Amino acid sequence: MLSLLIQKELKSIIASPKFVGTFGTCAVLILLSVFIGIQEYRASMTQYETARQLNDQEMAESSSWSALHTRVYRQPDPMQIFVSGVHYDIGRFSAISEWEEIKLRRSNYSEDPIFAIFRFIDFSFVVQIALSLLAILFTYDAINGEREQGTLKLTFANPVPRVRYILGKLIGSWLGMVIPLLIPILLALLLVLLYRIPLTADHWLRIFLLIGFSLLFFTFFLALGLLVSARTRSSSVAFLLLLVGWVTLVLIIPRAGAMLAGQLVPVPGIAEIDSKLAGYSQERWDQHSEAMSQRYQERNAVTAGMSAEEREAYEDANMWAWLEEEDAERKKLQQDISEYGRKLQEDFRNRRAIQEQLAFILARFSPASAYQLAAMQLAGNDIDLKTRYEDAMQAYRTIFNDFLDMKRKESGGHSGMRISISSESGINISTGGVDAQSLDLSEVPRFTPPDYLLSRSLGRVMPDLVLLVLFTVLAFAGAFVGFLRYDVR
Amino acid sequence: MQNNAVNAGNDRPSAPVLAARELSKRYEDGVLALDRLNLQVQSGEIYAMLGGNGAGKTTAINLFLNFIDPSEGEALIGGIVTHRDPIAAKKQVAFVSENVMLYPNFTALQNLDYFSRLGGRTGYTREDYRKVLLRVGLQEEAHAKKLRTYSKGMRQKCGIAIAILKDAPAILLDEPTSGLDPKAGLEFIALLQELRDEGRAILMSTHDIFRAKQVADKVGIMNRGRLVAEKHRSELEGEDLEKLYVAYMAGYMEAAV
Repeated sequence: MLSLLIQKELKSIIASPKFVGTFGTCAVLILLSVFIGIQEYRASMTQYETARQLNDQEMAESSSWSALHTRVYRQPDPMQIFVSGVHYDIGRFSAISEWEEIKLRRSNYSEDPIFAIFRFIDFSFVVQIALSLLAILFTYDAINGEREQGTLKLTFANPVPRVRYILGKLIGSWLGMVIPLLIPILLALLLVLLYRIPLTADHWLRIFLLIGFSLLFFTFFLALGLLVSARTRSSSVAFLLLLVGWVTLVLIIPRAGAMLAGQLVPVPGIAEIDSKLAGYSQERWDQHSEAMSQRYQERNAVTAGMSAEEREAYEDANMWAWLEEEDAERKKLQQDISEYGRKLQEDFRNRRAIQEQLAFILARFSPASAYQLAAMQLAGNDIDLKTRYEDAMQAYRTIFNDFLDMKRKESGGHSGMRISISSESGINISTGGVDAQSLDLSEVPRFTPPDYLLSRSLGRVMPDLVLLVLFTVLAFAGAFVGFLRYDVR
Repeated sequence: MQNNAVNAGNDRPSAPVLAARELSKRYEDGVLALDRLNLQVQSGEIYAMLGGNGAGKTTAINLFLNFIDPSEGEALIGGIVTHRDPIAAKKQVAFVSENVMLYPNFTALQNLDYFSRLGGRTGYTREDYRKVLLRVGLQEEAHAKKLRTYSKGMRQKCGIAIAILKDAPAILLDEPTSGLDPKAGLEFIALLQELRDEGRAILMSTHDIFRAKQVADKVGIMNRGRLVAEKHRSELEGEDLEKLYVAYMAGYMEAAV
């Protein structure tokens, strides 16, 4: 009996006139999104390689260790084919030198703002928008449509238990939609193989998990469709309700969550932090120069009654101590200022982290956000990508600078100052000797991109998995209970 | 196709296949849709419930099929109380509803196959389906066409074919001839008579006095949830059913006012 009901659902989905059009559209969208993703990945890979070569060349042209500086680039990852995440939003490289802070520059969107408006269509977008609509389109009349066409009465004039009927409906419509969807998904994977995209076992696992999540998300909307269908009398009412629900879940809640979090946890802007730091630094330097002038006055007071010779002798005797004292104070002051700046940055990061967490919690009331966040985590294109790279670059900067220090000492220490101005890296002031021959760059430490372990991704997607399962089970349970009491007349 | 109905009829000729005992339904909004209905339909008998809209005919059929639970009393099919054991009761009955759409994206053959299996009849071949469709008057070329291309009359024929294939001792029909053209109506009546002659107990609701008189062995006149009169075919010989119907309706209405 159950298999008969399942078969009938499968057949009626495939025999439906809307089947060819809707599934065709979805198949084309899935294939197209992956195809575009592949092209984009290959383009960014070429760009990455070229930029690195150019950087290596520039470094090779450098004639002194002191003037050496480099750039590190964010490495494209094949997962961006399926989920672009924040990949296009954050900068592609940062300069690494003594005098510049780590900052990721030149995102794809900053170069091509048109894409910031009309964002890239990736696989996760197709799932989020198109597949959820597809699920609704095939389930909104699953129960009430049968009532309207009289088949529900005819069915229950037969010895059919309701539980079995609704189970058949659930399983049948799930299979009826998932099987046709797996075809373009498998074709898309074939496309990835065909283009010889370098995928590791880790990537494959991530891809299969992503597909699993996508199907789970799709299943939620299917269950939601059945739920509404089992709780309304007319299919047109159900369709309207579902459309409103879809807009709310997919379009409104994710954005509203972020906006509400922004209101609840205000985070200072970069300019505000900069001006705070400038103010603090100004204040400390003012204090410093006041203390200095006071000290000069004190010193002058001691020598007030002395003769010119005595004064000179006294000053000569104390000069070194004074200079050291002043130097120490200046260093202390600079340390304090940079410590204050660090604290400001830390506070900014913390507040932003709280805001982000709150935004995510609020947004996760929608399965669409839970899916989006999980997809980004699985693809490693999540919101932390920037921080991960910045931290890795920061660590690399220290290694790089230490290496330069070592090389500089080896080649003869401080013997001059060099000021260079360029539009690319701003004003460079460096000290150190100029080497006669070109540098041996083979010893220069290389940057290794931050690794993002699958186990960490899995840990991060757990809450989303739990939420998606919970939402789906609740919707199914609602549909189930709703149908047990459904008036078939 | 073996004929359970006839056998069932021969084994227990006196027991009614369909019976209502003090069957009542009061809806949650307080409306008394059916008021202590008592009726019996024997094997090989057609019972027509005649009445206007809201008379309680459809409510009675819905109670027989356990689409709703009775407030009082009980409906029995083959001796089984429908609201106590609906699954067992529904094995004994076939149903033809008013204006059945069936599955518009399935062909007639697919619809027949699905509903036959749903009714527990799994042994039918394509040839059986073809024969039964021809018997109800659907031409060969229509058999493999999707139901959405069918006219109302054709769908109704398909519906009766499904009922025939279930091969149940009882058949319930809710306004089966409404909206049919005269020729289709006539063919339908002939088919019902054949089924009766096979020994099935048939309960139909209708507001078509002409058809009721033409086909029914018993006519029950219903008004406002009550069975106000029950006439055997022999009692109707030479009677003007229309006048009788109007008289009962009027009488009852006067009594009610």
